[in-house]
Amino acid sequence: MIRPRVIPCMLLKGEGLVKTVKFKDPKYLGDPINIVRIFNDKEVDELIFLDILATTENRRPNFELLKKITSECFMPLGYGGGIRDMDDVRQLLSIGVEKFVLNASAVENPALVRLAADHAGSQAVVISIDVKKTLFGKYEVFTRAGKKGTGLDPVKFAVDMEKQGAGEIFVNSIDRDGTMQGYDLDLIKRVAEAVTVPVVACGGAGNVQHLAEAVKAGASAAAAGSMFVFQGPLRGVLISYPAQDELKRVMP
Amino acid sequence: MTSEYRICTRCIMDTTDPDIVFDENGVCNHCHDHDRLMKQKVVTGKAGEEYLQKLVEQMKRDGRGKPYDCLIGVSGGVDSTYVAFLVKKMGLRPLAVHMDNGWDSELAVKNIEETLKRLGIDLHTEVLDWEEFKSLQVAFLKSSTPDSEIPSDHAIWAVLGDLADKLKVKYIVSGFNVRTETHLPRAWSQGHFDWKYIRSVNQLFGRGKLKTFPHIGFFTYYRRLLTHRRVDILNYIDFNKAEAMKILEQELGWRYYGGKHYESIYTRFYQGYILPVKFGYDKRRSHLSSLICSGETTRPAALSELDKPTYQPSMQEEDREYVVKKLGLTDDEFESILNASKKTFWDYPSYGRIIEGPALKFLYNIGRNWYRARQKRAHQAEA
Repeated sequence: MIRPRVIPCMLLKGEGLVKTVKFKDPKYLGDPINIVRIFNDKEVDELIFLDILATTENRRPNFELLKKITSECFMPLGYGGGIRDMDDVRQLLSIGVEKFVLNASAVENPALVRLAADHAGSQAVVISIDVKKTLFGKYEVFTRAGKKGTGLDPVKFAVDMEKQGAGEIFVNSIDRDGTMQGYDLDLIKRVAEAVTVPVVACGGAGNVQHLAEAVKAGASAAAAGSMFVFQGPLRGVLISYPAQDELKRVMP
Repeated sequence: MTSEYRICTRCIMDTTDPDIVFDENGVCNHCHDHDRLMKQKVVTGKAGEEYLQKLVEQMKRDGRGKPYDCLIGVSGGVDSTYVAFLVKKMGLRPLAVHMDNGWDSELAVKNIEETLKRLGIDLHTEVLDWEEFKSLQVAFLKSSTPDSEIPSDHAIWAVLGDLADKLKVKYIVSGFNVRTETHLPRAWSQGHFDWKYIRSVNQLFGRGKLKTFPHIGFFTYYRRLLTHRRVDILNYIDFNKAEAMKILEQELGWRYYGGKHYESIYTRFYQGYILPVKFGYDKRRSHLSSLICSGETTRPAALSELDKPTYQPSMQEEDREYVVKKLGLTDDEFESILNASKKTFWDYPSYGRIIEGPALKFLYNIGRNWYRARQKRAHQAEA
């Protein structure tokens, strides 16, 4: 595929899917299995699932549910949430998850990034960086569903992670999450310029133009939630994905 | 119920409906119902146009100062999409309401997306809690009645009613129409508005109480008959399904999904597999019968249509695997559901059983006897 990837990013809460605004107010979207099936038929490039409660509830990934998801999912699948050690990584690999998205554990246990990359290859290790602007306008890395500040600078952190062996950086803007107002292009640009591995932009996409903007700012792929699950001013839940020819036309 | 096989001479309804009755010419009760309802409810041509024009003006007047004039349910299917097209053409401000019960096909959501975008209609979606709804669907399968689609049918009307109350919108425009939907035997599915029925099946076979399931209580149902108004708009135009589909394809980029109500995976599987396999009847029979009576198809054409499989057997197998997995059943469990002895609506507690049951009949008889006795006394006193 020549054009940059466009990735629906879906949030798991318990057994269901939700969509948040600025990492808060999760709105229920339904059964993940059927939504995966709809995305299959829409020939989506790739899918990412993030369990937003696993780490804060201090539990492992919901392997049972993930098994059901992977058995239904025809496209490459990334998963993040509650991955703590190599046991988790091995188990996820065995049920067909292709990419591991590490967030809190990358901050708290950087050695895991190296281990996972050695075991499964760098291309399988994605570092998710949740970024919020502080009161003074500086970018800061947050973990644990955006609740815990780390004091880290996202650009420096991304560079460190690349050195550790990460194969992809997933930059998610907490301030833009669910707003559908467009990505934080400045943030994407800074991270993309600092690393050589692919950067996936997330947080704020509302239409296909936004996706193209992220790529122009340096992202290799554009991820989004709201724009693929809501329709119209009332945010009615409806799964959608841009048509292939539309993406080809718009994406740089 | 007769044990002998018989089929209507006009349509193709037969004794797979246990309550079917034939007149001296061999024409069934459903055909008579069709003719009666066509006279009572369907207005076509100039008269229909005028009636609808007046109604639309009234709806616009009543909608003043409110965000919407009317609600429409959307499923991605022909009828509901055509309703969206019509109300918009008449200058109404509709709100589209979709109930997502976890079984939408890609085609269904794509149809809704395209239609509403092109027509500029807002969408409200009510997503049923899947874990709860799953348990309810399994409960209905285990109850062994042919009414497994009742929870969905009930919930969409509950959602529409709740939203109409909340937004103070009076009109609910539906895609129900006499021409194509009159030949449905009661024994094939009943209890659509019977919350007690749904609750008791859930109590007997489900896991835990229904906490979030949208429903219509006994009195709410009757209150809404007074405060809301349902408009079956397709009864006031010269509705022809084939032509409607052509218009939708051309103007809205809508795509057909190959069978009545097949836009939902569960409905497709339920009507195309479970009903024929377990209960021995084919809903296409009733749908085609309606089409015969409204002149959209002929009896021989309908009969040969019925000889075809309900839908592609390979797809049936695929659906079966998916349904079993999604409902959290095992193959053995599903097999035993298919083989369990058949039950009906009347085997479970319901409002219907109270209203039509022996207790009320007993009271009714007492009342009648008392009335007759009084008449008799009055008569004797006169004499």
